[in-house]
Amino acid sequence: MEIKLLSEHYSNPKFCELAGYEAFGGYKVLKTALTMQPQQIIDEVKASGLRGRGGAGFPTGVKWGFLPKNGEPRYLLCNADEGEPGTCKDRVMMEKAPHQLIEGMIISGFAVGSKKGYIYVRGEYFHVIAILEQAILEAYKAGFLGKNILGTGVDFDLDVYSGAGAYICGEETALISSLEGKKGQPKLKPPFPAVQGYLRKPTIVNNVETLAAVVPILRDGAAAYKKYGTEKSAGTKFFSLSGNIVKPGNYEVPLAYPLKDMIYKLGGGLRPGRKLKAVIPGGSSAPVLTAAEAEVATLDYECMAGMGTMLGSGAIIVIDDSQCMVDMLAVLTHFYSHESCGQCTPCREGTGWLNKIVHSILEGRGRLQDIDLLVKVADNMKGRTICALSDAAALPVLSFVTKFRDEFEFYVREGRSKVKGASHAQMHH
Amino acid sequence: MPKCTINGKEIEVKDGSTVIEAMHDQGIHVAHYCWHPGLSVAGVCRLCMVDIEGMPRVQIACNTTVTEGMKINNTSQKVKDAVKWGLDFHLINHPLDCPICDQAGECGLQDQYMEFGKYDPEMAEKKVKKHKVMDLGPTVVLDSERCILCSRCVRFTKEVSQSNELGIFNRGDHSEISTFDGQKLDNNYSLNTVDICPVGALTSKDFRFRQRAWYLKEGNSICNGCSTGCNIKTYFNKEGFFRVKPVYNKEVNGHWMCDDGRDLYKFVNRDHRYLKASHRQESGWSQILPGAAAKEVSTHVKAGGEELALVLTGQYTTEEYEKIIGIFTKDLKTKNIFHWVNNKESFEAFDNLLIRGDKNPNTKGLLQVFEKNQISKTWADLETSLKAGAIKTVVVAGPENLKFYKDLDAKVQLFSQAKKVIWLQTAKHPALEKLPINSWIIPMKSFVEKEGSFVNYKGLSQKMNKVTTIVSEALTLAEAAELMAGHQISIKPDTHILTDADRPLDQVMSEHRKKNEFVFKRGTV
Amino acid sequence: MSVVQRDGETRKWYLLGVLGGLWITGHHLIKNLFNRKQMITLNYPEEKYEYSPRFKGNHVLTVKKDGSLRCTACMLCATNCPAECIRIVASEHEDPSVEKFPISYEIDMLRCVFCGFCEEACPVDAIRLGPEWQVPGLCGDNFIYGIDRLAYRPQLKGGIQSFVDDEERHKAGI
Repeated sequence: MEIKLLSEHYSNPKFCELAGYEAFGGYKVLKTALTMQPQQIIDEVKASGLRGRGGAGFPTGVKWGFLPKNGEPRYLLCNADEGEPGTCKDRVMMEKAPHQLIEGMIISGFAVGSKKGYIYVRGEYFHVIAILEQAILEAYKAGFLGKNILGTGVDFDLDVYSGAGAYICGEETALISSLEGKKGQPKLKPPFPAVQGYLRKPTIVNNVETLAAVVPILRDGAAAYKKYGTEKSAGTKFFSLSGNIVKPGNYEVPLAYPLKDMIYKLGGGLRPGRKLKAVIPGGSSAPVLTAAEAEVATLDYECMAGMGTMLGSGAIIVIDDSQCMVDMLAVLTHFYSHESCGQCTPCREGTGWLNKIVHSILEGRGRLQDIDLLVKVADNMKGRTICALSDAAALPVLSFVTKFRDEFEFYVREGRSKVKGASHAQMHH
Repeated sequence: MPKCTINGKEIEVKDGSTVIEAMHDQGIHVAHYCWHPGLSVAGVCRLCMVDIEGMPRVQIACNTTVTEGMKINNTSQKVKDAVKWGLDFHLINHPLDCPICDQAGECGLQDQYMEFGKYDPEMAEKKVKKHKVMDLGPTVVLDSERCILCSRCVRFTKEVSQSNELGIFNRGDHSEISTFDGQKLDNNYSLNTVDICPVGALTSKDFRFRQRAWYLKEGNSICNGCSTGCNIKTYFNKEGFFRVKPVYNKEVNGHWMCDDGRDLYKFVNRDHRYLKASHRQESGWSQILPGAAAKEVSTHVKAGGEELALVLTGQYTTEEYEKIIGIFTKDLKTKNIFHWVNNKESFEAFDNLLIRGDKNPNTKGLLQVFEKNQISKTWADLETSLKAGAIKTVVVAGPENLKFYKDLDAKVQLFSQAKKVIWLQTAKHPALEKLPINSWIIPMKSFVEKEGSFVNYKGLSQKMNKVTTIVSEALTLAEAAELMAGHQISIKPDTHILTDADRPLDQVMSEHRKKNEFVFKRGTV
Repeated sequence: MSVVQRDGETRKWYLLGVLGGLWITGHHLIKNLFNRKQMITLNYPEEKYEYSPRFKGNHVLTVKKDGSLRCTACMLCATNCPAECIRIVASEHEDPSVEKFPISYEIDMLRCVFCGFCEEACPVDAIRLGPEWQVPGLCGDNFIYGIDRLAYRPQLKGGIQSFVDDEERHKAGI
């Protein structure tokens, strides 16, 4: 069942304006939060068990605690560079409730002691940028942003920054590089952004959903938020359902919601006559689950990790039995080879190599040893680079090849798809 | 001073040093391309993998700081596999055009493949095509296909030369090094990018295709281009010198040297040198052997007394100065010793990296010897006494490196006021043909052909060894001084000679053979 | 060569050895006189011996389709040459896809030992040992062959093309 903690009023078109937002109790939490001690807010967020909703699932309160305790200027960045294939939750959140994000950011900024925040929006979301800019303008006029917010002496400025469409800029250090005006490439860690980030100052980077979730946590209290989900995966989360499904869309459900229910109840099941073949549970970077695994999986960090995959950004891609896995993998490998920043050798060369191997199988030039080679290359890209893009490229390959090896072998032997019966050239002409 | 264990051996390292530095200091060879001790850490080649106890994955040594009690290992199978695959990733799109690549023989890819790789390549796909033979500027040529994008050159222009000409453009496996729009890689240190390039992507226009690396021998020396005194490595064979590279010296030049210094090997080669002494008589120039010439002039020099003057430039070694000044003051009883300064007004110039205005390698050394022998004559004294005819014989130790001695014509005219001019000179210069009747030009050895020391701008005396002999008849300043004073000296015959005269007579002396000399004698260089 | 020393009395009776040798010579003389068809000597230079196609004779530099030299001046042949008889001077080519080429390539035939190492070292099939073996010349200079002689001598009728084709190599992604 959906729990609409954040998306309660999303259906109301007025909710995206300041007046409409305030009518539903907006900015009330801000007023109480500003009277609290920053440490109190951090403790509350820690107690709520909120984990980063961008993909890694790192506890937000703990992340905030990494900031140095001195009075050094620091930055709060909102990662709205939603590039993971299959994910579209942040877009909806920013379209429907920009003030929710702004309120969350002001509170978070106050909690971590930051006076300046940026929302780094994906380049393709230009209409979202317009909505955000309008909302920020309204918030400034109403005195929620700027100097001396609501007379409490707290300052917080907020700006929107547009990315240029690179997937890698969703990685926090690449996002910081891009924001600094440099080429969007991940930076070496250590130093971590919490110590040396944007303009070499301590920086916190949080996802849109994470920052917005701060509002209901402070409104209802950590205990109320923790009611949803499990002990380790607390609260609600947006899931973007897509693929071969009847009702694709964004659904807010408590964590540990069964994947089966997500597909068959909320998503309306598969199209008639089709059988479930596989599910990618957390965006294209997450290893694929077979139909049998999807039956028993629940949507929380622990269960997913136990199954060798991850919750990621919560983009559930449903694949039915009409899809050719070789063809699907070719799309993914092409995506990652196109989006690799080219900094680290294993990723730069490895993503291209994987893409070429998969395409040579598709074009009928594959050899049986190429399937093992795919595994070997992917294995050796994993964990060898600065950022996680190399892992993100390798994991789908590994899971596709190991779980659907028969399809790959059939393609190599016959030169055509086991599912579609046609070769790549026939399918695309 | 944290203690750590590297490959089972406990060592103590400097505070804040990274694992790769610690291993480097221990002499443990770690595979790497992007790490360079003189540049910031990029951590992009992903080759310097080490196993650290307690960490599930292999870590890069260049960005991991050593902490107390860290247990580091780079000999495990896990590390070896990681390095092997790291190399494989570097090589899958490499064009392997080693036959026409200048770097072949000293290439990081070749070396590290032999050391850490030795696998059967499995890449069966088409390679990525990129730009070849890109003209980056007046000194450097880029081949993007060979480039492994270690970003050393980019970091060099950013951090060391601070000229920021280079950048990496495009993404993924289409990334390429290039210059920013409308800019050329044109700074005084551009050739350092060629040195630090671990592969053959950046090649020097000057050296391009002139020799294969394995035909060259190496010899260390000191650059005589300016008073910084950069430590250099010269590359030569029987055909002469081909290039110069810097040698790390923390006190002097760090890892780098300037482009001007790299040009200086040229005047050392035979084509630019005086091979025989010349004597100008009424009938014109006649050639004699340098030793004989020095003996010939000794009668004039010895007769000189107060009418004898010695002019020195700051381009000889301290030992030579001591010898010649000793002989002139004690045996020849003259105090007329002068320091020829070329561009005094710009002596203090400094570009905040290496290049200094004083273009003589040993001005300090010369002044020290002057002080020791209480010589205080100024250039004005020389000019007045020459004008007055008080000086009849001038011995000039001319500059080796003529690049910054633009006024040689004027100086030749000045010295011509004396009756006899004995000019000791290494490299040819047309101005010297205008020397008056009764003058001698005696060929000198260049800085790579002799032992001695240079005292640099901050008083640091650096000893250098002889690299090779190019003109075997040429004299050092010390030998010339002895001979001019009429002393008998014995010059040991040199085994490294480059003259035709030393060849056995029964050999075919055709033009073809002369050209082939290098190949024929290669084994005996 | 090893010399076998036989001890004993027969060593002193060398006449026996001489006669034995004469017998072999006489045997062949008589055999050849009466069976001239199977005689193994040739009436050189009127008659010439057919060597096998693998014969390692004078060098040939192969050319590309457009007639230019295939050699890239990598100097591997010169490096590999045990007789040190190859001398190459490399230069930069106008065409960037060629990049490096020899402006001078000389082989001193009198030094050459025809071992074929140059052929084996060559990465681009640019040098081969051909069938020619008679090398007349009046002085030492005549035996130093340059590019004109090695690649374009009239006997080669415009040069020998190598098997490898550049375009095909490029198409294959090499």
